[in-house]
Amino acid sequence: MSEIISQDLLRQCVGEWLAAGKRVAGPKQVSWNRVLYAPLATPAELLLDLQERPVNSIKEFFFPKHEKLYGYKIEGNDIRLTDPEETLPEQVILGGRPCDAAALPILDHIFNWDYKDSQYNARRAATTIVTIGCTTHDDACFCTSVGLTPTAERGSDAILLPFGDGNYEVRCVTEKGKALFAGRTTPSDKTAPEHAGPKKKIDPTKVGVFARDHFEDSFWQQQTLACLGCGICAYNCPTCHCFDIVDEGNAAGGERARNWDSCQFPLFTLHAGGYNSRNSQPNRQRQRVYHKFHIYPEKFGEVLCTGCGNCTRNCPAGLGILRIASEISHG
Amino acid sequence: MDNIYQPDLMEVIETQQQTRDVKLVKLRFRDPERAKNFSFRVGQFGIFSAFGYGESTFNICSSSNWNDHIEFCFRRVGRVTEGLWKLEPGDTMGFRGPYGNGYPLEEWRGKDLIFLGGGIAMPPIRCAIWQALESRQDFGQISVVYGARTPGDLVFKDEFSEWASRERTRIVQCVDPGGETPEWKGEVGFVPAVFERAKISAGANSIILVIGPPIMIKVTMKLLSAMGVPAKNVYTSLENRMKCGVGKCGHCNAGPVYVCKDGPVFSIEQLNALPMDY
Amino acid sequence: MSETKAFEPKIIAFVCNWCTYLGADLAGTSRLEYPANVRLVRLPCTGRIDFNLIIKAFEMKADAVLVSGCHPGDCHYTSGNYHARRRWMLFRDLLDLLGFDMRRIHFSWISGAEGHKFQQIITEITEETRKLGPNKLYEGKPVAYPKFPETGLPLGDFSTEAEMRTTARTLLSEGSVQVVIGYGERGPVFVTRAEDADKLVWNRNCLTNLTAYLKRKEIKALGKAAIVVKGCDERALVVLEQESQIERENLHVIGMACEGLGLPKCAGCRVRQPRFADEVISTAKPAEAIDHYAALDVLMAMQPEERMGFWAEQFDRCQRCYACRQVCPMCFCEQCLADKNQPQEIDTSATRKGNFAWQIMRAFHQAGRCVGCGECTRVCPAGIDLWALNLALERSAEKNFDFSAGIEKSAGSLIGAYSTRDKEEFIQ
Repeated sequence: MSEIISQDLLRQCVGEWLAAGKRVAGPKQVSWNRVLYAPLATPAELLLDLQERPVNSIKEFFFPKHEKLYGYKIEGNDIRLTDPEETLPEQVILGGRPCDAAALPILDHIFNWDYKDSQYNARRAATTIVTIGCTTHDDACFCTSVGLTPTAERGSDAILLPFGDGNYEVRCVTEKGKALFAGRTTPSDKTAPEHAGPKKKIDPTKVGVFARDHFEDSFWQQQTLACLGCGICAYNCPTCHCFDIVDEGNAAGGERARNWDSCQFPLFTLHAGGYNSRNSQPNRQRQRVYHKFHIYPEKFGEVLCTGCGNCTRNCPAGLGILRIASEISHG
Repeated sequence: MDNIYQPDLMEVIETQQQTRDVKLVKLRFRDPERAKNFSFRVGQFGIFSAFGYGESTFNICSSSNWNDHIEFCFRRVGRVTEGLWKLEPGDTMGFRGPYGNGYPLEEWRGKDLIFLGGGIAMPPIRCAIWQALESRQDFGQISVVYGARTPGDLVFKDEFSEWASRERTRIVQCVDPGGETPEWKGEVGFVPAVFERAKISAGANSIILVIGPPIMIKVTMKLLSAMGVPAKNVYTSLENRMKCGVGKCGHCNAGPVYVCKDGPVFSIEQLNALPMDY
Repeated sequence: MSETKAFEPKIIAFVCNWCTYLGADLAGTSRLEYPANVRLVRLPCTGRIDFNLIIKAFEMKADAVLVSGCHPGDCHYTSGNYHARRRWMLFRDLLDLLGFDMRRIHFSWISGAEGHKFQQIITEITEETRKLGPNKLYEGKPVAYPKFPETGLPLGDFSTEAEMRTTARTLLSEGSVQVVIGYGERGPVFVTRAEDADKLVWNRNCLTNLTAYLKRKEIKALGKAAIVVKGCDERALVVLEQESQIERENLHVIGMACEGLGLPKCAGCRVRQPRFADEVISTAKPAEAIDHYAALDVLMAMQPEERMGFWAEQFDRCQRCYACRQVCPMCFCEQCLADKNQPQEIDTSATRKGNFAWQIMRAFHQAGRCVGCGECTRVCPAGIDLWALNLALERSAEKNFDFSAGIEKSAGSLIGAYSTRDKEEFIQ
């Protein structure tokens, strides 16, 4: 026994959620050759039946690329701090993939392991994640190497599995998911086909051990010379979460905000005095692998990677985690 | 919303220019409730900010026994410290903390303490010296070797003579070879060399706090090893680029440790287990 | 009873110390009245006026901006105003593409003796701006994504891979070079041993402009290099040599004739045959010429508010990943202005304001230097139509100064040079 929903009804739901004042985001055609997860203004903007996943991830709806932490007003000698004044609407993220959704429980560790990040948690609480299962995969995908599958439910409030005929099997994973789809699905005796996904491509444990034991190896230089040091991998990764804190304003005041940052930028570890502990791109590339496959598992018990392939797929130089981890796993 | 990134508002009580580019700032909490409830361990750090310029990480360089205010010491070297330099008594600035692990003073009880530091590394040592002097009976001999490039770069000069006047306390000041001036009466040489010359006794019952660049730590540890001091008795405070101070922003890891949470205080035994990532 | 204050425009005037400022002074001492709406910002010379200052003035809620200096030929520093004039010409075309209200941006020559002219211009600008109303920076009208002209996607046959490998193998085994920078199966490769020459490929996925690697210190450390370039990439070498970033004698250039990678940028390519390489592998049939600028006309046919709306939606997506900068051979500064914080030129935050400032800075620093390789557009994760910004400046360079970057070795620099005969109809 399963519950199903049609694409038409799904779009109708999107319209209802928007009308109810919810913020709805999903895959959208933003320019002639680019599909991104973005806020939707109308149900028609939602792209379904995509063969390739969007370039970005859904983390920006929980951890925005720019987020005001608080404001400050300068009044003579005094400072007055103000709250971000942001009304957090309820959010529905519709159309993320299992590799997008699974990132959220992984990120929950770092944002809560001691000090609780209230803004991240508030967005998590206000959001329902409706994932669409994958019916295909490409060369850059490797979710199955890190414990996921094309129909994995981790992190989703509900997952829609495509039948391929415009209908989806709806599996509600949490109470939030149940509440969202209450009364909108119809029972069926069919279950959606499950796509097997890619064969295992990397061994995450081996990668972590290599990063730990071969910190000063020439491997990093040989493998990552092509890296140009941009932020594409970190910024479009579902699990990368490093950030910078800046003051922006004028003599009357301003805001202190956090912005995405990437360990691939030389500025990331640059001391004001000029010293840089990671002064070459290979060292910085090593850090990304080391963080994801050694530090994070040591501290939180799981790798900081969901195998979405965004970094490798979108790297201008064809690098990314899959490429480097493959070399380690099979080299 | 309990915003972990929101700082306490602090009033600048006094600023003391220590050298041509180093200042000491004394601050108190504007909120008396917060002042009452605030405490820290020496060795911990804070994130200090000048609003409009940004935040920066500095060790809290006052003793934790000084209940009414805290102090930090900084060198004017970049944008944020330029903003901090402009602060005058009465101005408001920001403070987040205390963060980090602090010195394990309880484990240092009954031991001889040796403090070795260079230049702007003195502030995190200074707080430990004051803290130890304020429980003088808990510790054995206290020795300090402190050096800077030139006499003009020495900080806390006015406190050295107070320290030297205390019982079982010996202070040795030095400047780098070539940095001495005709009036200079102290030692000339790099800190590890001056430490060796000064024949300060060290052994299994000594705790050493050495803060400075990696090369200085390395040279000093070699000397100490030869004197029978185990690596687990020698401590340092790491300085890595930080942002959030609370283990989230990803800037400060040195290998597998987050300097803001697992540090900044490490024993050399712990440091030796870290890859060269700091 | 509520009283709405009448709108008083804020005019910021960036003026040079030696002419316009004295002209303003003369207006004052001559008791010529002019509106108090103007705030003068005095700089030594118009040549010192960074285009970014105009943007900053608008960010600080200016309703109109005037930039004014000495008449051509009268510059206190001989040629500062000539440089400024050329720069303004290009910058105006960029701002126009972005949908700025060009009626709010004014340029003039006002000498120290022209107190009356100063009074007149300030008065006119104030009155015009009062009629226009307050400036709404970066607010535009939302517009549907336009239809750009179809240009065809030329695709070559890439049959010269073996020849290219042989060339590389020979260079390495003879020791003529220490590294061959070329295309590999999955991305750029840096081949240092002759036996690895088979790692090099030549196919339709050879998209990267490899000349961007010549600025990387880890690559420079590998020794004398040979580099595989297509004609579009080779244009970058011309500019890099002009700007003293490479020593041409110290680089071995393997030119690959290319009839297209199947990308829009390949339509109408003028440089299918590399012209300055040490050797060129194969020959390419010339491309059918197209109107390169037709796509720009689609944007320029919109109303300025619509263009502003178009760009605002695009720039809102910018993540500030700086991939556009990192893949660009022309962005070779050891520390980019965007990465400096003393002073903080632009906001680092990915806000609309910060992103406009970044995109304007990046595009304008390419004026007369961008060779149209299209890499910035290809790699942008947010799908921003960066090509349009670069193309607008390319058109401005060609139309106003008969200049095209990286085509002629003898062409010199566009922004670094000036002509006393440069046009100036827009300057009052």
